[in-house]
Amino acid sequence: MAAEDLKKMITLKSSDGEEFKVEEAVAMELQTIRHMIEDECADNEIPLPNVNSKILSKVIEYCNKHVHAAKPVADGASALSPAEDLKNWDAEFVKVDQATLFDLSLAANYLDIKALLDLTCQTIADMIKGKTPEEIRRTFNIKNDFTAEEEDEIRRENQWAFE
Amino acid sequence: MSEEDEDQAPPKRPRATPPPDQVLDNVLETVLQFLAAPRDRSAASLVCRSWHRAESATRVSLAVRNILAASPARAARRFPNAHHILLKGRPRFADFNLLPPGWAGSAFRPWAAAFASAAFPALRSLSLKRITVTDDDLDLLARSLPPSFRELSFLLCDGFSSRGLASIASHCRGLRVLDVVDCEMNEEDDEVSDWVAAFPPGPTNLESLCFECFTPQVPFAALEALVARSPRLRRLGVNQHVSLGQLRRLMALTPHLTHLGTGAFRPGDGAEDEGLDLGQILTAFSSAGRANTLVSLSGFRDLAPEYLLTIATVAAANLTSLDLSYAPVTPDQFLPFIAQCRNLETLWVLDSVRDEGLDAMASFCKKLQFLRVLPLDAHEDADELVSEIGLAAISEGCRGLRSILYFCQRMTNAAVITMSQNCPELKVFRLCIMGRHQPDHMTGEPMDEGFGAIVRNCSKLTRLSTSGRLTDRAFEYIGKYGKSVRTLSVAFAGDGDLALQHLLQGCSKLEKLEIRDCPFGDAGLLSGMHHFYNMRFVWMSGCNLTLQGCKEVARRLPRMVVELVNSQPESERTDGVDILYMYRSLEGPREDVPPFVKIL
Repeated sequence: MAAEDLKKMITLKSSDGEEFKVEEAVAMELQTIRHMIEDECADNEIPLPNVNSKILSKVIEYCNKHVHAAKPVADGASALSPAEDLKNWDAEFVKVDQATLFDLSLAANYLDIKALLDLTCQTIADMIKGKTPEEIRRTFNIKNDFTAEEEDEIRRENQWAFE
Repeated sequence: MSEEDEDQAPPKRPRATPPPDQVLDNVLETVLQFLAAPRDRSAASLVCRSWHRAESATRVSLAVRNILAASPARAARRFPNAHHILLKGRPRFADFNLLPPGWAGSAFRPWAAAFASAAFPALRSLSLKRITVTDDDLDLLARSLPPSFRELSFLLCDGFSSRGLASIASHCRGLRVLDVVDCEMNEEDDEVSDWVAAFPPGPTNLESLCFECFTPQVPFAALEALVARSPRLRRLGVNQHVSLGQLRRLMALTPHLTHLGTGAFRPGDGAEDEGLDLGQILTAFSSAGRANTLVSLSGFRDLAPEYLLTIATVAAANLTSLDLSYAPVTPDQFLPFIAQCRNLETLWVLDSVRDEGLDAMASFCKKLQFLRVLPLDAHEDADELVSEIGLAAISEGCRGLRSILYFCQRMTNAAVITMSQNCPELKVFRLCIMGRHQPDHMTGEPMDEGFGAIVRNCSKLTRLSTSGRLTDRAFEYIGKYGKSVRTLSVAFAGDGDLALQHLLQGCSKLEKLEIRDCPFGDAGLLSGMHHFYNMRFVWMSGCNLTLQGCKEVARRLPRMVVELVNSQPESERTDGVDILYMYRSLEGPREDVPPFVKIL
């Protein structure tokens, strides 16, 4: 084995007890973990009670990809630049069902992974664009808790003053 | 799973995450940061209470398109984190001296006070359009705006002078943008403040400095010194007193300019212009890779045409925007330059270029999207310099045209119809046939069919200005086909109330309506009652409205501010209504009302 294969591994444990071994460099993408590692208060096994195994495995897949994409491998296989390749990969990565998308954004928020947070939130924002309030509620299964008067007042304020 | 589990109802597993409507709350503010379009923002604010709160907290761009519609307190309460604020004031017809001065002179004061009291602590940029701003307002702002404040732009504003600019220059340390465009500033010749010298010493953060409309001379030494210590300057627009020699010196200090307002563009009498020749100007425009960075040229306030030709080969190819609206160039002077402008997207030009010049432009500028052909002499009986020939040529050559403003003396329906067929991307069509009630000069017919074709064929049309002789039929067409029209400007047209009825009952997206000197009366006005609360404003001047009719509108639409303005304050008007200007307001009628305005 070459020297670089002997990387330090960190174990992340999901809320449902599954263990994931990741390279330290990948674990550092999760800023909450990074702080723990740098402050040397991390064991080699870190429990993540807010993230289940399904989501954690996706998060790790994302971080793995992004850490290794930073070092471009010139294999001539792709006609696109590494940046474009990554962008396409990201676009495919977020093609998941809505619940998973939300869970990913929550996980990115909790684990403090800015790029993944931005990616998932941008994707959710794209689902809002061009929709009426009722359509947005239906898309995200949200209950309208305004009174009729409140809603009228806001609509009027929007249209008369702030649009 | 064991067999026992399959027999029972599936056990309720504890959810790893809360239900969707609560999930989003954790990341909602981050999601909303990616939502910029005003309509999307409005929609998000109406979803539910938590979304309303999150949207209000994250709105960074605030537009109050009628300063009289909402108070600064209301705006600050709802959008305390605004970074960019846009305020618009007077209606557009005020530009043509139809509204007496002082109509809403202190509308900005409460906003200045709000900014001064840190109602918007994150404020970075302020854009004002058609607003009266005094030197005292500017002084107040200058002394109290937060250190994050960076950009100030005035468009079509008035009421302030160089003293106010000097306050801003000396106190707003981080200023990046100071743009004063098409403003009417008050200047006492002997009391002009040297606002350019008022900028503090040391490097500035200026990225954009435009003062093309500033009428007094700016001391050149101070200007040169300021530009020399502004390494980030990308946009510079100087006034007509800056000579070509002086411009050359300024250009030498600003190698990264993208937008240049060129001042006089003629050699002057000063030291900077001694020995100035064409070669030096050629060098100024071609050196330091400038040919690749400069994308916009304007100014040419006293153009010496030979210099325009000189820069054609080096400056024109990269230009996307060209404003020659102060340069009365002939076709001979225009052609060699425009022939090089293959990338031009925006062109403002005088009709001195004639149909010939427009035809040539259309053959070269295939990417043109925004065009204004402005009159050298804006009178009914002026020489005819451009005609339907120019319009047709433009439509043949510039198929991607999105917006046109075209002044002429006469027009034909055929040319307008041709444009409607050739330019499907048109969003803005403003035709100004300067002769009142002018029919199609070839057929003698009204211009109904031409405008009809525009609304029928240009499905993206949002703004329309009509002119020429128009019967009610033209308005029937506009009402029937102009379903996406939001702004409509009508002058000296129509036969009677039916025309206005067609508009108000047909144009379901209509938001801004400006009408002058048309035979429309109360019946026409009242036909729009169902729609007025959906409109930003209605302006009707020189029509046949009566006090009765306007009172009826005010009675039935209590939240509409219905203003009757006397356009000649010196003379008492007892008959009929001079100007009706009505708009929605959340605050009720304004209190500071000049004597020539009556609010019903």
